[in-house]
Amino acid sequence: MSDIPPLQSFVVDALTDLGAVVSPGGSLVWVQAPESVQHDLEVPANFALTFDADRSREFEAELVAPGSYFLERLIAVIARRGQWDAARYEVSGTEWIPAALRESGLGPETGVRSHVDGIEDGLLWLFAFRVTLLSDEKRESFHLIAVSPSEQCAWPVDPSRPDPELIPNRSSGTFANLESGYRLAAETLRSTTSGEVDRFRARSLGLLEDEVRRIFGYFDRTIEELRESDPDGSQELLRAVMAERDRRLTEAVERFDPKAGASLCSIRAIHVPTARVRLEFPDRSGTDVPLDAWSGRLRGLVCSNCGGTDGPWRWSSPEGLRCATCAPSPAGSARPRGRPPSDTPRRGTRAGEASARSPRGSRARSRGASAGRRPP
Amino acid sequence: MSLPAREPPPSADASLSLRFDDSDRDLLARAFRSPGDGPRAWRLNGEAHRISLVDGFDRLLAWPVLHGVARYDHQVRTALRVLRDLRGRAILADEVGLGKTIEAGLVLKEYAVRGLIHRVLILTPAALTDQWREEMETKFALPFAVLRSIRDWDRKPFVIASMDTAKREPHRRAAQARPWDLIVVDEAHRLKNRFSLNWRFVAGLSKKYMLLLTATPVQNDMDELFNLVTLLKPGQLHTYDRFLERYVASPDRRVPMRVSELRGRLRDVMVRNRRGIAFTLPPRRVHSLAVRLSPAERRLYDDVTDFVRDAYWSASGRLPWTARLTLIVLQREIGSSTFAVAETLRRLTQSPLFRWDERERLEELRQDAAAITSNVKAGRLREFLKSVDEKVLIFTQYLRTLQYLQGVLEADGHRVAAYHGGLSPAAKDAAVRAFRGDADIFLSSEAGGEGRNLQFSRTVVNYDLPWNPLRIEQRIGRVHRLGQEREVHVVNVWAEDTVEANLMELLDRKIHMFELVVGELDLILGNLDERRSFEDLMMDIWVLRQAEDRRSALRRLGDSLVRARAQYEQVKDVNEAVLGGAEEAASA
Repeated sequence: MSDIPPLQSFVVDALTDLGAVVSPGGSLVWVQAPESVQHDLEVPANFALTFDADRSREFEAELVAPGSYFLERLIAVIARRGQWDAARYEVSGTEWIPAALRESGLGPETGVRSHVDGIEDGLLWLFAFRVTLLSDEKRESFHLIAVSPSEQCAWPVDPSRPDPELIPNRSSGTFANLESGYRLAAETLRSTTSGEVDRFRARSLGLLEDEVRRIFGYFDRTIEELRESDPDGSQELLRAVMAERDRRLTEAVERFDPKAGASLCSIRAIHVPTARVRLEFPDRSGTDVPLDAWSGRLRGLVCSNCGGTDGPWRWSSPEGLRCATCAPSPAGSARPRGRPPSDTPRRGTRAGEASARSPRGSRARSRGASAGRRPP
Repeated sequence: MSLPAREPPPSADASLSLRFDDSDRDLLARAFRSPGDGPRAWRLNGEAHRISLVDGFDRLLAWPVLHGVARYDHQVRTALRVLRDLRGRAILADEVGLGKTIEAGLVLKEYAVRGLIHRVLILTPAALTDQWREEMETKFALPFAVLRSIRDWDRKPFVIASMDTAKREPHRRAAQARPWDLIVVDEAHRLKNRFSLNWRFVAGLSKKYMLLLTATPVQNDMDELFNLVTLLKPGQLHTYDRFLERYVASPDRRVPMRVSELRGRLRDVMVRNRRGIAFTLPPRRVHSLAVRLSPAERRLYDDVTDFVRDAYWSASGRLPWTARLTLIVLQREIGSSTFAVAETLRRLTQSPLFRWDERERLEELRQDAAAITSNVKAGRLREFLKSVDEKVLIFTQYLRTLQYLQGVLEADGHRVAAYHGGLSPAAKDAAVRAFRGDADIFLSSEAGGEGRNLQFSRTVVNYDLPWNPLRIEQRIGRVHRLGQEREVHVVNVWAEDTVEANLMELLDRKIHMFELVVGELDLILGNLDERRSFEDLMMDIWVLRQAEDRRSALRRLGDSLVRARAQYEQVKDVNEAVLGGAEEAASA
């Protein structure tokens, strides 16, 4: 799960976005609310906010803290807005291409040669999901999944990565591939969270197992004791005990039955310059791959060992192209994405992508020129 | 899922699949049909979701929004332990005065903040329903409603009901027909008998989480402990026969065996904080300022009392409930001050509750009250304050008395911070700040700073005495609480030959109430066989016409109180022997 954004800046930004005038004033924040905000948040035209519980009675300030009514209302209102956005990512020149290649572990120093066949306008989808695991406890996480509709591939993105400067693209319209993009994102989310979901399930069922065993043990033994103490005893009593057992078991199942749900929070369409790059490896093999300026991700490469599609990459002979996890150590330039050494300057536009692997075949291969013809 | 088979339910190859919300379809259909709200709104949407994520019970989220709840480590530890380790099913068995209600409120609030509870039922003794509602609302901002009618089971998701009401039809069926996310049972030692209606009622409720609150899980014998634990977690203490065989010394069922093993098993269901060194409160010293009323005050007191008795036993038959209540108020006010009673007398002269001849008497009483310009009790208080060189809390139940005292004390040069229910929250804060600052007297009505930390003061004056002893205890509790390091002085001002004198006789001389720890009185009063409230009992005695009848009724009530206290002491000893530190969280 990602870092949680600071509460105060979120609240100030959110109110401003809703059209309120927000003036910080020491421990209190003063708000002039337009009518829509007054209605939605159930506040007067002018009110004070505080993030400090001890100050909440000053000027009858609204306390903002987890569990406070104001914050719950604000979150509900904000979560109903901004559910989709279309934007354009612009970058000047072509310097981003060699930089992205270097960060992917395929810079010229690795012996891999590259040249750009052309730059075109590409489209990426970004789907935001909230995942909720529920039994007698609740665990939630937030996920961003990027989808390239042209290559029909998807990958998780770190939600806490800095939001690069995007230019609003306010034109509305429909996107024919939105539905299929969602399906791909959903599948990727399933795969990304499967470990967490399985662990949650195992823990919940373990607790249920203990509970069921204890309930059976108690009631069965109680029935035995009743029979031993009074062999001709009331059948009605025994039936009552059994009914109580069944009721307790049902209660236990309802309590520990694990559920895993995901809901789509928002969608973003990003138009982004995408380069078609020809990579030539030292063994003279080659492949054409797309590289977009927003994610800096080389799409269509496959690890010769694990079949994974997440870089960074390392080419070596005779192993061929491998992902950072499978590359023989020392990995050198092939560092897992999102975990650079602390002295490595990070580029704001593509920092911190989470690595995730989709388990595919283990056959060593480069998707190469077939990338564009890959079946969905 | 359906009912599990006898064998453990999970199968190794089964998996849990992420289920996508139906509303996703709707969003996909709407998306991009309009330009949207802009990139900032999109970013904020993500932040709103991330801020509101719930991730287990790694910490207590709700502290900042609680109001008037002092943060004590043992309560935080208890709440986290109940949430994490005991998974919401626990007996909260703290010794009295360590805040079981607060702990239950913390657990409740944490579940609520995480969206894990939507229907909650709190079961309490009838006398405590309003207190629970008030506490849940003011401290935890949880919108509980006290059950008033059968329809409330449907209409109110957060319900407080008296156990006696809820367990009987038609309420019983209504309560058991619904699934509850959380059940809280206060005074859970009333579930000691598994054949009782109480026990069977609670056992028949369908619930996910359950908290049982009692300082004394064992009342008479070990069976009660078994019954309580089995209600929560059947099998935790084995079957009944095995429990007796293993943990109970025969023939005396109060004596436990294999105590350490038993306590080990209890740790999985019970949290018991004890008063360790950190929780030893300094002693209380009680001072009685008894006064003899002036002739005019005496005459007025007796005349009001005569009126109350006459109206109470009115020849016109059974008195309406409202009139009876009015008479009780009148009698309590005259015990506070002539100023408190004067206003009520004025209103009653217009009241249709009374006959014209009664209203004439009331008018005479009003004139007598208005003619009295000072009270002997106030004079005694002023004398006492001359002998005190520190901050003092003075409590009175009535605003008119408070206003009178404020005038008198300010005229004497005291700096008075007045605090009462009519003040705005900000004005109340200002009053507390003033008392913390240069004010030397905090003059408070019954709303006296509930939950506020006033431990920097240590002298409490009861200018009048509420007939409900728990109210007196709450007043003292404002300064005699965790954090108080100095000896606490409790000063009671009362007049001879009044209800309050009787009250002092019972509470101070018979059961030494002022020396008890906060919470103990509750348990002692709970041991009284009487089904009526203590206030009603006092009134019943006071309205008896014959002095001898009053004396013997008072004696009987005194004897009952003494027995109730002895019973409580005995129970305390048994619990100490059985439970000791089933959980030693508080004393660390």
